[in-house]
Amino acid sequence: MGPESPGGTSQSGRRYWKLLVVTLGVTCAVGAGLYQLAYLYVLNEAERNIQALLLAHKGTHRYIQEVMHPAFYKLKAAGMVAEKFYSPEILSSSFIVRNEHKAYNEERRAAGLGEVYYKMAALNPRNPVNKADKLEEKLIRMFNENRAIKDYREVVRIDGKDYLYVALPFLVNQERCMKCHGDRGDAPLGLQALYSGQGGFNEKVGDIRAIESIRAPMEHQYYLLYIFAASSFSGLLVLAGLLLFNTRLREMVRARTQELEQEVIERRKAEEEVRKVNEVLEERVEERTAQIAAANKELDSFAYSVSHDLRAPLRGIDGFSQALLEDYGERLDETAKDYLGRVRAGCLRMGHLIDDMLQLSRLSRGEIHRQEVDLSTMAGEIAEELQRATPQRRVVFEITPGITVSGDAILLRAVLDNLLGNAWKFTAKTEEARITFGHQEENGKEVLFVRDNGAGFDMAYADKLFGAFQRLHSSQEFEGTGIGLATVQRIIHRHGGGIRAEGAVGQGATFYFSVC
Amino acid sequence: MRKNNMILLVEDNPDDEALTLRALKKNNILNEVVVARDGAEALDFLFGAGAHAGRDLALMPEVILLDINLPKINGLEVLERIRANERTRLLPVVILTTSNEERDKIKSYTLGANSFIRKPVDFQQFSEAIRQLGVYWLVLNQSPPVVRG
Repeated sequence: MGPESPGGTSQSGRRYWKLLVVTLGVTCAVGAGLYQLAYLYVLNEAERNIQALLLAHKGTHRYIQEVMHPAFYKLKAAGMVAEKFYSPEILSSSFIVRNEHKAYNEERRAAGLGEVYYKMAALNPRNPVNKADKLEEKLIRMFNENRAIKDYREVVRIDGKDYLYVALPFLVNQERCMKCHGDRGDAPLGLQALYSGQGGFNEKVGDIRAIESIRAPMEHQYYLLYIFAASSFSGLLVLAGLLLFNTRLREMVRARTQELEQEVIERRKAEEEVRKVNEVLEERVEERTAQIAAANKELDSFAYSVSHDLRAPLRGIDGFSQALLEDYGERLDETAKDYLGRVRAGCLRMGHLIDDMLQLSRLSRGEIHRQEVDLSTMAGEIAEELQRATPQRRVVFEITPGITVSGDAILLRAVLDNLLGNAWKFTAKTEEARITFGHQEENGKEVLFVRDNGAGFDMAYADKLFGAFQRLHSSQEFEGTGIGLATVQRIIHRHGGGIRAEGAVGQGATFYFSVC
Repeated sequence: MRKNNMILLVEDNPDDEALTLRALKKNNILNEVVVARDGAEALDFLFGAGAHAGRDLALMPEVILLDINLPKINGLEVLERIRANERTRLLPVVILTTSNEERDKIKSYTLGANSFIRKPVDFQQFSEAIRQLGVYWLVLNQSPPVVRG
């Protein structure tokens, strides 16, 4: 991400705040909705409680009017009750229910519950206690005008406390009601005697005479409401918090995923580049390999033609010099014969040079076939061959047994041939000649060496020893083509090893070499 | 020494030819020597074609001394053709060359050379080689019967 990262963070921060506000808003709205629902539920519950009470009262009214009144009139008709008898304590349903409710409130108080206001409110009651107040009057008219309305409810606040107020239309005036509520003159004498004035009279059949008006405290319901609201709101808050946290988490995961994807893309790009570079390199390697192969092939045919074309004339020179000596020898003086001898020696020397050169060039070609090679045994064989070729020489060979390396047996044989051959050659003028083949450890690596106590060399020329055709001794002193050590070095290098020489004039030489 | 048992020398270098003939003479190998100066001429002689058309093909060399580096058709191809022909396939062929390349040796023996000799620069060694060659192939060795066409 790198440089884009700060901008991205502030952007996501803004988004986060926006989300927080939205979530809180939604939470509050849902909370408010839930509260409203709960409030309605609580209200309904309260109404149902009140209704239960009203229905109980209504039942009592009906019992008085439908059971007790007929029983009373029957007794009266039978003359068992005095014609003028009337007692609201026994006959007035509103009186009885009012006082029953009074007792009910007393019971409630004793039980620690709030009182429930109850009133049988009428427009024209006999007892002024039952006179409807303004709201009740309005409701009575409303119920009369619209018979479809079966109840009225309202939450009213009195002295800082909420109450549920409910009003139900009371009994509709029946024909039988008219006995007591119709014309005053038709009413029982006891009733007339008890209530002066027109209160409770002149009602009409079919009118709603009164309403039941009731008002109960909502403390308990509110208590339930608060508990519900608090718990649901805190639940909502927790939910919103979780939602926010989840969103934040998803945001983080998204950002991290994006980062990773970017990384993957970059890595793929890098891989692609590496692949391309590799392809280019491979192409170059192929090209170079082809070039090298071509060069090797050229070198090959060059060496081949050298081997043929340079040697053939030599053979001619040598052959005809010999023919001269053989056929015309008696006509030549000693000097002429000496010259011819030198011509022939030159030919042979050049023949050797060509052969050595070819061997050297051949070492650059071909593959190395690695295997375990016992160099000690090989050195022993070479020593025997040298001894056999010149039996008159006395040379002591000291060969450490069991030196083995991994390398090309034929090439390593050429190395030992050259090194031991050199040691043999350069100890020719040494009394008690000694040639050693052994090994030692240098910096934790095994280093092999061939040591002699022969003519040695000047360390100043040590670096020239391994150059092709480089010689530190004249041919008269020690014969040789100067290619042997160059050959040895090339073989050692082709094995991934190294070679160096130590020595001093007249004190012998030691060649240290290693094979990887 | 047996006479008329012809030697076919295939050699393009006049010096080598002269030296070979000299070495043969010095070693008292008096057999007739037919010299072919390139591969094509050698094949003409063997198959009675070109300049050698009509030659009596019953007369086949006792041994063929064959150089590898030859003009027109090289020695290895000549050898291949000799081995491929019914009349000549049994003839002893000695590769006599300056080369000591391994692949030449392998190719020569693969194609059915009977021997591979490298010409030394030293004439004395060369002469000795020719002598031993003569003794072996012309005296000791029993040549194959001539295939009549």
